Amino acid sequence: MTHPAFEAQLDAYLDGELAAPDAAELEQHLRACPECSRLERRRRALSAALRDQLPRFPAPDTLRAGVRAGARAEAGRRARRRAPSWGALAVAASLALVAFGSRQLALRGAAGEAITNQVLASHVRSLMPGHLTDVLSSDQHTVKPWFNGKLDFSPPVYDFAGAGFPLVGGRLEYVDGGPVAALAYRRRQHVINVFLWPADRGRTAGPRAATRQGYHLLHWATPAYAYWVASDLGLAELGDFVALLQRGDSAAAATVR
Amino acid sequence: MESSELERFEAVVLPHLDAAYTLARYLTRNDHDAQDVVQDASLRALRYFHGFRGAGSAEGRAWLLAIVRNTAYTWQRQHRADTLTTEFDEERHSESVADRHPEAAVEAGSQRAALRRAIGELGPEFREVIVLRELEGLSYKEISDVAGVPVGTVMSRLARARRRLEEALCADPEDC
Repeated sequence: MTHPAFEAQLDAYLDGELAAPDAAELEQHLRACPECSRLERRRRALSAALRDQLPRFPAPDTLRAGVRAGARAEAGRRARRRAPSWGALAVAASLALVAFGSRQLALRGAAGEAITNQVLASHVRSLMPGHLTDVLSSDQHTVKPWFNGKLDFSPPVYDFAGAGFPLVGGRLEYVDGGPVAALAYRRRQHVINVFLWPADRGRTAGPRAATRQGYHLLHWATPAYAYWVASDLGLAELGDFVALLQRGDSAAAATVR
Repeated sequence: MESSELERFEAVVLPHLDAAYTLARYLTRNDHDAQDVVQDASLRALRYFHGFRGAGSAEGRAWLLAIVRNTAYTWQRQHRADTLTTEFDEERHSESVADRHPEAAVEAGSQRAALRRAIGELGPEFREVIVLRELEGLSYKEISDVAGVPVGTVMSRLARARRRLEEALCADPEDC
C-alpha cells in the first residue's frame, strides 16, 4: 500500500467506515510502516482531544421554551387556517405565516428589543403595590366588558382557575406606541401578566423567549393578536399556562362564525 | 395540525435541541445568532414535518440538524454585512491574549484554547463535519444527508479538516 492511498483511507478507517477487506489491508500496512503508524496515533490523539475538549453547548432554557411556544402557536394557527369559517382572516394568517420565520430574524433588532423592554417595565411596575389591576375581578365576564371604550378591540379573556391559574383582573398598559390590554393571573404567589394587542398594528416579532432580571418573557402572535407573557414563574409551568391560553384562543376561533 | 402531531413533533425535535444548538453555535460562532437560527429552524421543521417519515431518534436528529445547517447558511448569507461587526466574543478575545503572551499558552488548558481557535479558523464546510463527526458521532452517511454532499466528499473534508487541525496544533512540526 502506498502512503497516499493510506492517507486517503486512514480517516475512514478510524471512523469505522472502511470496508472490512480494505481495513485488513490497511492494518497490515500499519504494522509494517512506522511512519504511517505514527500518523495513525496522531490522528487518534486529535480525535480524542476534539471529543474531550471541544465545548458542547446545551440549549438554553429560553430557547427550549421559545421552540415549544413557537410550535404551539404555529400549530394553533394552522388549525384555524383549516377552519372554513375563517374567511378573510385566512389571508392574514398566511401573511403571518410568511412573516413568522423571516420577521423573527429581521426583527430581533431594535424594534423587538424595545418592545421586550417595555413589556418587562410594565410587568415590573404592575408588581408594585396597587398597580396590578384597574379592574379587580376573577370573573372574565366582568373583566372583558371593562375594556369597552378603553381599547379599540375587545380582548379575549379567560379564567383558568380550574387549571390553577386564576384570573386576578385587568388593566390598561401602553406598549409600542399604543394602548394594550394587560390581564393578570396568579399561580400560587407568582403573578403572570398577559399583554395583547391586535396583530394588525404590525411590529409583531416572531415567537421569542427571553429572561431579563429574573423574569421570563414569552412572545407569540396569532392572526388576531400579538401576545406577550411575563412572569417569574418557572418556565415549565409558564409553558403550561401559555398552552392553556393558546388552546383557549383556538377554541374561540373555531366557534367564531 | 392535530395536537397529536404537535406532540409527535415535540417528541422528535426537542430531544435534539442540544445538538441543534451546538451545531448552530459552531456555525454562527455567536450565542444570539445561534438561538435565532435554532428557533427559526424549528419552525421550518414544523412546516416540513408532514414530510418527515423517520422513525428512530437518529433519523430525527439528522433531519433536524440538516434544517439547522441550512438555516444557519441562509442566515449567514442574509447577514453577511453584519458579520463584519460581530459582537464582542469572549473566547476569541481571551485567546488573543494567549497569542500575545506565549508563556500563557504553555499552561494547562492551552490545548483546549488552541483547539477552539483552530476550529474557528476552519471554513464552515470543514467545521461542520468535525462537529457532526466528533461531537455528535454521526456516520458518514448521516453527515452526507445533513450537509447535502456525497459520502466521498464527507470523507475527504474530514481528512482535510483533521490535517489542518493537526498542523494548527503543532507549534513545532518536529514534535508531531
